[in-house]
Formats: sequence, structure tokens, C-alpha cells
Amino acid sequence: MARRYDSRTTIFSPEGRLYQIEYAMEAISHAGTVLGVLATDGVVLAAEKKVTGKLLDLSVAKEGGYGGSGEKIFLLNTNVIAGVAGLTADANSLINYARSAAQRHLFSYNEDIPVEQLAQRLCDLKQGYTQYGGLRPFGVSLLYAGWDPHYQFQLYHSDPSGNYSGWKATCIGANNGTAQSLLKQEYKDTIGLEDAIGLVLRTMSKTMDSTSLSSEKLEFATLTIDPQTKRPIAKIYRPAEVDALLSKHGLAKVEDAEATEMRSRDGLLVVH
Amino acid sequence: MAECSFGLVGKGYVLIASDTSASRSIVKMKENEDKIKGLGPNLMMAYGGEPGDTIQFAEYVERNLRLYHIRHNHTLRPASAAAWIRRSLADSLRSRHPYSVNLILGGYDHTSSMPNLYWIDYLGTMVEVPFAAHGYGAYFALATLDRFHDPEATLEEGLETLKRCINEVEKRLIISLGKFMVKIIDRNGMREVEL
Amino acid sequence: MSRSYDRALTVFSPDGHLFQVEYAAEAVRKGTCAVGVRGKDVVVLGVEKKSVLQLQDPRTVRKVVMLDDHVCLAFAGLTADGRVLIDKARIECQSHRLTVEDPVSIEYITRHIAGIQQRYTQSGGVRPFGISTLIVGFDPQGAQPKLYMTEPSGIYSAWKANAIGRSSKTVREFLEKNHKDDMSRDETIKLTIKSLLEVVQTGAKNIEISVMEGFNKISSLDLAQIEAIVAEIEREKEQEAERKRTRLAATAASQAAMSAAASGPEVPPPEA
Repeated sequence: MARRYDSRTTIFSPEGRLYQIEYAMEAISHAGTVLGVLATDGVVLAAEKKVTGKLLDLSVAKEGGYGGSGEKIFLLNTNVIAGVAGLTADANSLINYARSAAQRHLFSYNEDIPVEQLAQRLCDLKQGYTQYGGLRPFGVSLLYAGWDPHYQFQLYHSDPSGNYSGWKATCIGANNGTAQSLLKQEYKDTIGLEDAIGLVLRTMSKTMDSTSLSSEKLEFATLTIDPQTKRPIAKIYRPAEVDALLSKHGLAKVEDAEATEMRSRDGLLVVH
Repeated sequence: MAECSFGLVGKGYVLIASDTSASRSIVKMKENEDKIKGLGPNLMMAYGGEPGDTIQFAEYVERNLRLYHIRHNHTLRPASAAAWIRRSLADSLRSRHPYSVNLILGGYDHTSSMPNLYWIDYLGTMVEVPFAAHGYGAYFALATLDRFHDPEATLEEGLETLKRCINEVEKRLIISLGKFMVKIIDRNGMREVEL
Repeated sequence: MSRSYDRALTVFSPDGHLFQVEYAAEAVRKGTCAVGVRGKDVVVLGVEKKSVLQLQDPRTVRKVVMLDDHVCLAFAGLTADGRVLIDKARIECQSHRLTVEDPVSIEYITRHIAGIQQRYTQSGGVRPFGISTLIVGFDPQGAQPKLYMTEPSGIYSAWKANAIGRSSKTVREFLEKNHKDDMSRDETIKLTIKSLLEVVQTGAKNIEISVMEGFNKISSLDLAQIEAIVAEIEREKEQEAERKRTRLAATAASQAAMSAAASGPEVPPPEA
């Protein structure tokens, strides 16, 4: 009989719960990990990709996150990047909405949208999908990394219910509990960008299922300020850059015969 | 046009002066009308033009900027507020009943710690300027400001320059505009100053 | 089949219930507790706030918000619903000023909010707002502090003191016992904190207090101030307990003495 209250999003259960939201959150806790860390001079995002395969074409990655490898990290506006965890198709539609919202703000105010406002815009949409008839909620959590002149560098997290909150370092998706406790131990308020990058990579390598990291499984991005123009720069790393970064930090995958063989046996596309 | 307002930027502050007459046709109805509206803690706007339009538009702007402030816990930066106001006027111009309002907008940007001044007219023109003037008075004041304006001027020097403008207008303009009101915004907010 | 009566909102059950509205009230009872208390010329809002996690940004956790210069609101229930409803109320506050020049009266904005909540119990395909609100403030021309409450059903009512959210019944009963008319500022704040302590076991760090003393005059207490008041309350409780103990001891002693006097006449009777 429990089914009575979990079949539609707009319905409260007798205990006052919204099961659809809880299920959506459950789905996200199995999705690829996304991790964000706020540094004094930038923000770092990293994400674990789930769609992998030997024949996947990573070479056509475009700026902004779409293209061959873009699955988890996207450019929302010149001053905001986001990592998504959950249903990729839902995420694509939210990304689209966010980009339009950012442009509408630019049109009205001739400035980049403040980061919290962009998160709020998306959350209002997400909340609407938990209250209005016949719709299911968005099965997506996001981490927003951004900069604006009001609060400088910021990191936000939003979930399917339409709640959001600001963080110094946080993690969504699979194994987020492990990652959170690692971050809690290692994070310092004075952390700089270089150390934050190290922290993110180390935490990712510990939480991801695979033993070694490569651009095949990892997306990576930073948001910093150009020292000359004082404008934010969002950088979503290309696969080759991710590999270079990993080997710089001594976390790159060592190609051995066994692993290569394993992958070729796995088939073309592994979808979780 | 029988109205006049000036603005100028100095070191860490912006000054706006406006005449205080409310007139209709050739009749002066009132001579203590405040035509510089505070729009939150860091922004003010001198308005002139069609009498009904000015108030209507100024209140519309005031309430929308207040709503923005209370919704987001911070005010719009002067540059963003100016862009929004300009767009409102530009949209209005292309509507059936356009507002006929000219504005001088002055504010202090706490994110860059700089004062800003904008000149906006009823056609939706907007320029950021070191000094500005609207009305017939502009013909006299701009020359004076060209000669005496200094962006690094202290408040005393800035007020002195403003006084020169007003004196010039009183001396040369065929219409007497009466008393002027002056307001300042700096990092401490807005207040009225005596000339 | 009874199952359809709690699914479609607009429908009464055979025994006259609107189940979805009742379940929404259940969601409110799960929310953190909020208390409002009116004094002579002050009104105080106290909320129980969840501990901010170590890596969370406390700026983004808001339970008490301003609707306008003279109106303040606290809510209990679903946070995302709260944000959306608050936004609607804020728009109404400014819109009201624009149309009639005057700021809203507290009763007006309460009625407006309750009206929105009611609509969501009667329109097709929506669920009710899962929040109750406490609205406090001063009318534009009035010196009287006001306190109103709204519920998911759309009911609103004026109060001298009331509580919403988790364990609100306990708190309300406490307030009923201890509220006096014409309390001073300090008395009102103290009663608010005292009533919150009925449900907040962790003390000052999980309490947030906002004090409104007139049109446009609002302030919030910092942690040290709340801690001082909590300590004072605890001291009083201690003294009260001490008094009780000594009184009990005294009674016991006198009883013992009396029985001793009854058995042995050589003991002098106890003094009064």
C-alpha cells in the first residue's frame, strides 16, 4: 500500500513526506561522484564519468563542456561552472535553462549573474517540479562553482527538492560520505588553488571505484581570476590536459597489458 | 526643459544637484520640490521631464530596486542598476505610452570602491560620465565643468565647482530656477549637503 | 475505494477530510521549531537552527527573513517551499507600496500569504505548501507589535505567542503557562529562549533570535548574548530546584522532628 504515495510527486504521504524527491535523491547517490573545493584564489570541480568505452571519441570536446567527453561538467556562464550528478538527460535540460537564465540576467543588468542567484533560479524551477501536477522532480543534483563581485569565489550545492546551500568543500553522487569525511579532515580555510587541486584529485582517487585515474573516467575544471583583467576564467580541462595534470600529481594510470585487455573485454560502452 | 540638474564625480564620492521647482507650462507651482530620489543605500537619481511621468517612473524604479535588494540580500551595483533603468526606458519608448523622463544617476560601488555617474535620457541613451547635466542649464554648466572638474577633487573642491555651475546658470539663463538641492553619495551612504 | 480521496487535492473524503492538507501539516511538524512572542512594544522571533556543518557556508542557511523593512517571517517545513512563498510575499510588499504608497500592514501580508496557501489546496494538479509561517512586525502607523501565523490549509490567525514546527505543542503549552501581557524587551526575549529550550537540547548555538522593536527597527542577537541569557535561565532553574530541594528537606526534617517529638517528649518542638 506504500505505493499509493510514491507514485506521484505532488502528493504528501501521511507522514508528510514526498517520496518522489527521496527516490530522486537515492538515484543521485548512485551517480558518478562530483566534488568541489573552494580555495582562496579559485574553485575546483572534478567529476567521475560513467559513460566510458574504448571507442568513445574524446577528441571533439568543445569549450563549455559539450562534445565528445562532456558528460558531467558544464559552463553555465562566463563566471559559473557546474558539475552534475544524476540523470544526464535531466541535467542537460537544466543546463540549458541555467544558460538562458544567465543570459536573461546579462540582458537586463549588463552584468554576469551573481552565482547564488543562478543557483536560486534553478532551484525555483526544481521546486516547481515538486509541487505542480503530474510531473516528476528533476533527478539531478548540481555543484556550482563561480565568482561574482559580491561574495567572490563561491561553491553551492542544489538537490532535487529545490534546496540549495553554500559550501567550502562538498561532494555529491556515489561514495559522497567517504569523500565528505576525507574533505573534512583535510580542508583548511586558507587552502590555495594548487593545494585544492591536489586535494580534489587525491579525494577522487580514493572514492572512485577504479584504482587509477585517467581522462577516461575523470572530468576536471577550475574557476579562477585573470590577474590582469580581474575577470573570472572558467577552464574545463580537455582530456589530454586532465592526463597531464594527473601525471603531474602522480595519480595517472600506469598502462599495463592486463588493464588494456580488461578494457577491451568490457566492450564498447559501459553504462551504469 | 525649464529644469536643471548636474552631477559630478570626485575622489570617492558623487554629487548630484537639482533645481527644486515644480512647474506647469509657464507657471511655477512650487519651489521646494525634491527631485533627487534615493534608491537604496548606495544609489540616487535626479529626474526631470514630463511631471506625471517623472514621479511614476521614479517610484517604479525605486520599488523594483528595493525588491531586488530584499530578495538577494545585496543591492544592485550602480552599473547594473543603470543598465536596468536604461532598458526600462528603452522598452517604454517602444511601447504605446512612453515615459518622457531624463535622469542623472549617481552611486557608489562597494565592490570596486568607486563612485559612478550615469547620464540617461528619455530615448534610452546612457553614458557613464565624469560629470553630467540635463536641461537648459547644461549649456552653461558643461563649459564650466570642462574647465573646473577634477576627478580627484576633495568634497570641498567638488562643491565649489558645483557652486560655480549654479552661479553661471543663475547669471546667464533667462529663467530663474530658484533654489538648488544637493545630495552626495560616498561609502557612508547618501545625505543632503548645504551649498 | 478510499485510496482516491487523498490523491486528488480538490476532493473531500467521505468523512469530510482534505487528506493532502493534513499530510502537509505533518511535513510542518517535521520542520525545525520556530517561536514568536509579543511583548509590550516588542515582538521576538526565535528559531531552532540546525547545526551548520563544518564545511558549510553559514550565510546561505536562513530561517528568519525580511519581507519588507517592517515585516519579518519565520517558517517551519519544506525549505524550498518556504523560499518560493517568501519570494511571492516580497513581491507583494513592494507592489503594494507602488500602488497605494503605504507599506503593507502585517495583517494584509499575512492574509495574502494565507491566500496563496489556500489556493494550493484547491487548484488542480498541485500539492499544498508544506510550511507554516510566523509573521511579525509593526503596522505603518501603529506602535503595537503584531504576530500572525499561517498554516498549509490557508488558515491565518493573530497570536500573543505561538510556536510552529517540531514539538510546537510542548512549546505552545509552555507559552500558555508563562506568557504575560505587557512584557518588557528583555522579558520577551527571555521567554522566547526559555520556550525554545523546551525542545532545543543543545542550547544557545542552535538558537537564533530576531527582535523587532518598531517600524524599521530589527536586530538579531549574537551567540554571546544568547549564551548569556541561556546561562541566566539555567541559573534560575538551578536556584528553583535548590529551593525545592531545601523546601522538601525542610518538610522532611520537620516531619521527622514531629514524629520524633511524638515518640520522645524530651526533644523540643521545632520552631516555626
